[in-house]
Amino acid sequence: MVQYNFKQITVVPTAKDFVDIVLSKTQRKTPTVIHRHYQISRIRQFYTRKVKFTQQTFYDKLTAIVTEFPRLEELHPFYADLINALYDRDHYKLALGQINTARHLVARVGQDYSRLLKYGDSLYRCKQLKRAALGRMATIMRGQSSTLAYLEQVRQHLSRLPSINPTGRSLILCGFPNVGKSSFLNKMTRADVEVQPYPFTTRSLYVGHMDHEYLRWQVIDTPGILDHPLEDRNNIEMLAITALAHLRAAVLFFLDLSGQCGYTVPQQVHLFNSIRPLFANKPLVVCANKADVLKIAELDEESRALLDGLQSEGVPVMEMSNLTEEGLIRVKNEACDLLLKQRVEAKLAGKKIGEPRDDKPRPPMIPEAVTRKRQLAAQGIEVEKKPRKLEREIELEMGHDYVLDLQKNWLLEKEEWKQDAIPEIWEGHNIQDFIDPDILERLRQLEREEDARAGAGYYDIDQPESDDEMQAIRHTARLIREKKALRKLESRERKGVKGAKMPRTGKKMSTDDVEEGMEELGVDVDADATAHMSAGRSRSRLRDRSAQRRRDADVAADEERRSRSRSRSRPPRSESGVRDAAMAGKARLMAKQSQRKNNQLARKGEADRHVFIAKPKHLFSGKRGIGKTDRR
Amino acid sequence: RLAMRLQKCWFCSSNIYPGHGICFVRNDSTEFRFCRSKCHKAFKKKRNPRKTRWTKAYRMARNKDLSQDLSLTFEARRSTLPKYNREALTQTVEAMRKIVQVRQKRQASHILKRLAKGTEMRRLADVRSVEQELHLVQAPHATRKIYDPDTKRLVAGADAAAAAAKQQRLDKRATAKAAAEARAKRAKLRAKTNAALTLDAEAMETEDA
Repeated sequence: MVQYNFKQITVVPTAKDFVDIVLSKTQRKTPTVIHRHYQISRIRQFYTRKVKFTQQTFYDKLTAIVTEFPRLEELHPFYADLINALYDRDHYKLALGQINTARHLVARVGQDYSRLLKYGDSLYRCKQLKRAALGRMATIMRGQSSTLAYLEQVRQHLSRLPSINPTGRSLILCGFPNVGKSSFLNKMTRADVEVQPYPFTTRSLYVGHMDHEYLRWQVIDTPGILDHPLEDRNNIEMLAITALAHLRAAVLFFLDLSGQCGYTVPQQVHLFNSIRPLFANKPLVVCANKADVLKIAELDEESRALLDGLQSEGVPVMEMSNLTEEGLIRVKNEACDLLLKQRVEAKLAGKKIGEPRDDKPRPPMIPEAVTRKRQLAAQGIEVEKKPRKLEREIELEMGHDYVLDLQKNWLLEKEEWKQDAIPEIWEGHNIQDFIDPDILERLRQLEREEDARAGAGYYDIDQPESDDEMQAIRHTARLIREKKALRKLESRERKGVKGAKMPRTGKKMSTDDVEEGMEELGVDVDADATAHMSAGRSRSRLRDRSAQRRRDADVAADEERRSRSRSRSRPPRSESGVRDAAMAGKARLMAKQSQRKNNQLARKGEADRHVFIAKPKHLFSGKRGIGKTDRR
Repeated sequence: RLAMRLQKCWFCSSNIYPGHGICFVRNDSTEFRFCRSKCHKAFKKKRNPRKTRWTKAYRMARNKDLSQDLSLTFEARRSTLPKYNREALTQTVEAMRKIVQVRQKRQASHILKRLAKGTEMRRLADVRSVEQELHLVQAPHATRKIYDPDTKRLVAGADAAAAAAKQQRLDKRATAKAAAEARAKRAKLRAKTNAALTLDAEAMETEDA
């Protein structure tokens, strides 16, 4: 059963307040600044957030209301009926149901408008959508205004209900109005209920607490009940009826002997008989109140006979007076004892108390020494209790010879073990951790496993074939690895960041290098093999012989014109490797085209790397006309 | 019975001997023991021992060390200990020695097996490289071969240079050794003669005196 605390239900605001609270919260908790020029996605997100926030806030607050108000099915039937009597169960349920639907409607509105906002294409449209959404939610809430007002009333009244424990010990006071129930309550407990001469002074249930036999008792004062059938009972009387119906308590029916309440004793007895069914299974005491005014003995015959009749039926009838306080304690004791007896009987009848759980004997534990002593005592022998010799006495006796030996009182199997030095640590292990009653068995198992493993060859290390083949392969692989590593290093050197990267052909390769390289790889080379590689040979080979002859003449003429420093063996770069005019033209074109992109984009080329003036004076000197010169 | 105990460092799982390390107790009363400030500082930096490579926790988690084995179950902290019994304790101590021996053997074999895969891989890599990259050290049509791919053997005298270098080294060592011996011998002889001389000198002095 969910625990409800009627005093801690959150306040239900009026519809107007509700809307105000939620909207102001939205305004405070969501961002407020938005401009037309923001990205449309941002604008949408902004307004969607507002709509969602408002929806969520409404939802949360309504959920709180719905959950905190008690559900009648989950309450004790006493409280359920009480609430029904006070607030009408149907109305109550309807109100909560309407709040529930309002919740769903608000959620639906929020969802719909969030979806619509995804298609808002301007700030104005999104804003209008948001306004529409919030407006609709507010309208839903305004439609609930009457429900909220009703629930607030219910909440306030609920919090003021008396906290009656339906299962505790209680006495219910009932009877006609004005018979003296509230006065009785005032007298018995510390309650201070209004007592007035007019009927229906008490209009709701009141609880007082008192003590009897070291136990707490609740005394419940009810409004008076009039003598008419159930259907005609009004709300206030229903409270009393509810209490009587659902609480397991002792009932004190009050009779006004004097008739000051306005009803005669026969009328009151008639009422008693009519609500008798409600007292079924409840201990009952009839209190003949206002005995200071008129005693039972002074009653007329009719009334007397009725009361005697009641008593003969087994209902105790007791005289008492609130004013003079005579008979009060007697009445209280009688009622409380009757109820206690009933409760104890019920408990005994329910659980089987006093029966043994099982066949196991559980005798009391008496130490050996005590049983021995008792036996001897029974035989008549008195055993003197020897006082133990204290360690201090021993120390004083022995003087300088005394050695504190804490182990001497140990209870071990053999005395000689007491002086053993117990090892604790061995080679980084705690000996304690190995102590086990089954250790030998487990060790045997381990050793068996080990033998099995050794037999199966688990511990044999596979020696890789150290035959010649493998050795040869290993040696050669090592050489290959070293060669590869060398190559890597060379490649990295070439890729150096400093300086320009020379192409592979930029480095001069001599025939000696070629010969050396081949020799390293195991090929013997003689000079003939590399003869064709030497630079003495002219590189520009042209197919056309006659043209070649003319060219030779031209070349010779040209060379004579050029300076002597230029060696014959080196043709100009524009002509090296070029076969004919067509190829020369293509080479020229390619050279120009390769430079085009860089030049058009005005990119730095090889020639542009040098910084001619690292620190131009005009940038690094001089004061400023205005401002600071922290940075240059 | 509970006097001295070797604790385990929370971070690296090494033994903490008495007088070492720091024990940190948190507000929820969990204890953390550290063998040295390295582990303590790592803990304060919120490092995860299961990710710190040098710790035992890492090694166990990645199966680099033997983690689940019968020999490891013997050493376990028990909540109650029996009363002291000399025979039982001597048995336990002897059993413990054997258990630890077996455990060490198993741990070693675990690691060796793990590493064996690497050696196998390297062997295969070597074979592969010789098959495919032999041209880097030996031209296919070479006359002076180092390695003959048909017979899969080193050609005799191929690494004569390497052998020569090795021999040189050995000779140098031998000569160095011989030189040292000779020096020692000479020094000894010198000392002896010195002693003899001083004795003679003394004898002469005493004679004179």
